[in-house]
Amino acid sequence: MLTAVMAAVVGCIGIAVYGIVFGLFLQGIDRKFAARMQARVGPPIRQPFIDIGKLLCKDNVVPEGALGVVFNAAPLIALAASVTILLYLPVGSIMPLLGEWGDIVLIMYLLTVPALAMVAGGFASGSPYATVGSQREMVTMIAYEFPLAIAIIAIAWRLSVAGIADPFLISTIAQTSVWSIAGPFGWLGLLLLLLVLAWVTPAELSRVPCDTPEAETELAGGLLVEYSGRNLALFSLSAAVKTVAMATLAVVLFLPWNPSWYIAMAPTTAIVADALFFIIKVVLVVFFSVSVIRVMMARLRINHLVTLYWKYLGIVGLAGLVLIVLDAMLGMGVVA
Amino acid sequence: MALIETLDTGFGAWNPLLWLVALVVALLIAWLIRSRGESARPSGAESAKPYLSGNDAPSAEETHVGASNLYWGFTDALKGYYDRVVPIHSGILTDYVLWFIGVLALVIIMAGVL
Repeated sequence: MLTAVMAAVVGCIGIAVYGIVFGLFLQGIDRKFAARMQARVGPPIRQPFIDIGKLLCKDNVVPEGALGVVFNAAPLIALAASVTILLYLPVGSIMPLLGEWGDIVLIMYLLTVPALAMVAGGFASGSPYATVGSQREMVTMIAYEFPLAIAIIAIAWRLSVAGIADPFLISTIAQTSVWSIAGPFGWLGLLLLLLVLAWVTPAELSRVPCDTPEAETELAGGLLVEYSGRNLALFSLSAAVKTVAMATLAVVLFLPWNPSWYIAMAPTTAIVADALFFIIKVVLVVFFSVSVIRVMMARLRINHLVTLYWKYLGIVGLAGLVLIVLDAMLGMGVVA
Repeated sequence: MALIETLDTGFGAWNPLLWLVALVVALLIAWLIRSRGESARPSGAESAKPYLSGNDAPSAEETHVGASNLYWGFTDALKGYYDRVVPIHSGILTDYVLWFIGVLALVIIMAGVL
């Protein structure tokens, strides 16, 4: 137990640096991709780092009428909670530091903590814009949790039917490609669930078309309207770390393959090769589920957002789940 | 000792103590980053007034958000469902008891069939 506590303490420092640096790099890549698709040059990839530095130099304004303690605590909690998610997720073939002490259901709950911190911060701002933004964030959370839960449960269930122990542990999911277990119906179901997760990602990250809680043109930044300086910097860092977490989750669930599974190589070479391949997969996930979607779409109205996630993506997710259940019931693929 | 043991269900695992330790360390890191930034502007400054596109800020009572407004996007998107469910909530106790008995009977029948 003491070893695990030490791993949590030391690992948390390392994973915080990794999450922040990689997250800001991903945001830079995303901005570059989006700019190129819009025929712009775009900012340099290091721009998010410059933005954080700039925010730390700015005044930190706490508005009149704000609930100071909650207003200041919210960004701290958002960043800290985002960092802890990464402790339960792998990096390439390096298994998660706390993988034995938390499963994918925990990750699903932890993903809501930064959003809840933002909601609390928005309500504590004492601004009508921020209040409306917080209200929208709560509704958005309710909307996307349902299809996300379907995708996660379906994959873990399929692994358990194949007789794999601890199917909800991330280390299990990361080391077993669900595509190799499922049969033809299962593959079709998995493709539908991949589509669902690709659409849940922008909602989790409050990116267009799901940036309704911030909505610059209507709410002037919504729940973040009153945030500035170092508090806004922490929220930006939290968003960066959450980008890494969401993209890693997608990679673990649907693209878990590593080069070392197929090519014999020395252990150190394997770790480096797997990590590089992991970075490519994460960048691809961010490109398709963040950059492409945000460039091709406008912001959704909050009731349309709920309709999209609960009706259309909910039905697509359930169809994927039914196909995966049928796949197992008909004995396609691997069944214990 | 039971408090620090890991809950292992055979499907997954969960140890709240380790997450709390990690959270405390992560909070310290976040606080360290925050301490590198500029501190708060003194209260009373013009920029400390809530941003409302130049309009006067309404009082806290006037900006209070009711529960019906809070979930507006959700209830509006699922209007078809709520239009049917809300009228059933009559507020009459005997109606609720009737629903309870009806659902219980249905569950018992289903349990017997399955």
